[in-house]
Amino acid sequence: MKLNGAQIVIDRLLAHGVTTVFGYPGGQVLPLYDELYKNADKIHHVLTAHEQGAAHAADGYARTSGKTAVVIATSGPGATNLVTGIANAYLDSVPLVAVTGNVAVPLLGRDSFQEVDIMGITQPIVKHNYVVRDVGALGDTLDEAFAIAGSGRRGPVLVDIPKDIQTDVCERCDAGSVVGGGDGTAHPRVSDVERIVSAIKNCKKPYIYAGGGVLASGAEAELRALSERLSAPVGFSMMGLSALPDDYALNLGMTGMHGKYAATVAKSECDVLIALGVRFSDRATGNVGEYREGKLIIHVDIDLAEIGKNVPSHMYVCGDVKEVLAKLLPALPAMRNGEWLSRVETLKKEDCQPETACFTPRNIIKTVRRFCDDETVVATDVGQHQMWVMQHYGFMKPRTLLTSGGLGAMGYGLGAAIGGCMANGKRKTVLFTGDGSFGMNLTELATAVSQELPVVIIILNNGVLGLPRQWQTVFFEERYSQSTLDRKTDFPALANAFGAEGRSAETLAQLEAAMQNLPGDKPVVIDCRIDMDEKVLPMIPPGGSVKDIIVN
Amino acid sequence: MERFTIELIVSNHYGVLNRITGLYTRRGYNIDSLHVSETENPERSRMLITSKGDEYIQTQMARQLAKLHDVQEVILMTQVRRSVD
Repeated sequence: MKLNGAQIVIDRLLAHGVTTVFGYPGGQVLPLYDELYKNADKIHHVLTAHEQGAAHAADGYARTSGKTAVVIATSGPGATNLVTGIANAYLDSVPLVAVTGNVAVPLLGRDSFQEVDIMGITQPIVKHNYVVRDVGALGDTLDEAFAIAGSGRRGPVLVDIPKDIQTDVCERCDAGSVVGGGDGTAHPRVSDVERIVSAIKNCKKPYIYAGGGVLASGAEAELRALSERLSAPVGFSMMGLSALPDDYALNLGMTGMHGKYAATVAKSECDVLIALGVRFSDRATGNVGEYREGKLIIHVDIDLAEIGKNVPSHMYVCGDVKEVLAKLLPALPAMRNGEWLSRVETLKKEDCQPETACFTPRNIIKTVRRFCDDETVVATDVGQHQMWVMQHYGFMKPRTLLTSGGLGAMGYGLGAAIGGCMANGKRKTVLFTGDGSFGMNLTELATAVSQELPVVIIILNNGVLGLPRQWQTVFFEERYSQSTLDRKTDFPALANAFGAEGRSAETLAQLEAAMQNLPGDKPVVIDCRIDMDEKVLPMIPPGGSVKDIIVN
Repeated sequence: MERFTIELIVSNHYGVLNRITGLYTRRGYNIDSLHVSETENPERSRMLITSKGDEYIQTQMARQLAKLHDVQEVILMTQVRRSVD
């Protein structure tokens, strides 16, 4: 079969089950967009306002659906605008294939118009990347890109396709020579499993620390079974949150710098820490020496390079969490230490902050929660509001949380909410954001409007960059350098100008009213004015330990 | 700091050397010597990279290099014999 490069791209996208792509056209990718035009009935292209929004939308789509998502951009500025989104996907192990156009092969390396070396630029933030210089290799390259992105520890792959490769005709392009991932994922060894089982048997205070690897491998049921078998409380990294329902008795919520008090203290008191699909980020561990004190650390992760990278473990298994737990579970006896469980129960009670009826971030989040069901996809931006959502929302179902973990990219949320909404059959999707984060990529309101998406955008508007302000209060003697947003933005009016709907709330009753009669075919922005000195607590200062925890 | 050498079997095409040295750059490790040559199989090159580092650095470098798609084989050669996994 004779196909040109652009047709090969469409052919391979369809072969990999891609029905939705996100992107933005431009000169060097027009041949591909011409084929997208002809195949609009098979592939829905979501035109965003900015390539960064497209990359975040693809990321949100992939996180919700678990499928590899695709983003398309042109050369030069189109490609560089993807960089934050690609880095975000890399740090949170999100399967993404980015397709960029580039100038024709004879023009490469001549500083041609809109030419950048996007392969060089993205090299440290992708699992792998390619410049395709021969149309004959294009089909296999795309297959390989999907295989790499979606296997092992998932992540982004970039395929740069010069314009002449998009129009060149391939004489023989029968697909199918690339199969499977083959990324050298290790399988658990029997000896490792036996050692771990006997170590756990000798412990009295087990604690499970679960991360994104649990969700990536679909090991939620195995995690629950392990927790029940060992009567072990479970604390989560931000990436792992939503793997177990919030109402499960042994779910202590997020641990780390702004984690729940009980989750962090119980973690420090355990005698065996079973770490599943985590990379011991500095935000989750703080001082590594004190973190390891008095406990046996067992690390399970699919990526061998994560073993011992941040926290040395006493034992480890390199492999897929689901597969490892499937081997461990039958060998583990049922355990129950009443003393440990009552200690955990006590900590959970200490965790409870006094209830108020004020218009606080917590009450705003809990109010919005009442208007959502367990399947509602929730996106966040980055900052104080993000931490409050982790602490108070109460996630019940896996893959309902879209948040920028490793990169902490302000401006992630709206794109991610758009992608999450698309992946979820255009059901109501909620974005919690702050006035700072929202300001970064609010142009994507245009996308949510044109796609008729029922995204409910809750702006926790405090007029400041809340986390920098909080740090400046605690560590910089209240010198609020450039963290006060002296803006006069009227968010409801702005929403209306975009063709969305703007509402505002200054009390919980007003918020409840604003959450009613939501249109099903367009975004709603609800501006919630909150106090600028609301803090995220508890807080463990960077590099600190549980001894340094600030609770009020 | 102990001197150690990593031997790599890699794909023999443009950009691969960049990916390898990029990992050293990112961690801030100096490369003391570097040797690259095509193997008997023209699709593969052999690299010998010598640098200095403790056990943590040696293991991390070997494991990070092994993750690269263009790297087929990693052999860590140290003064003390040590396994990568």
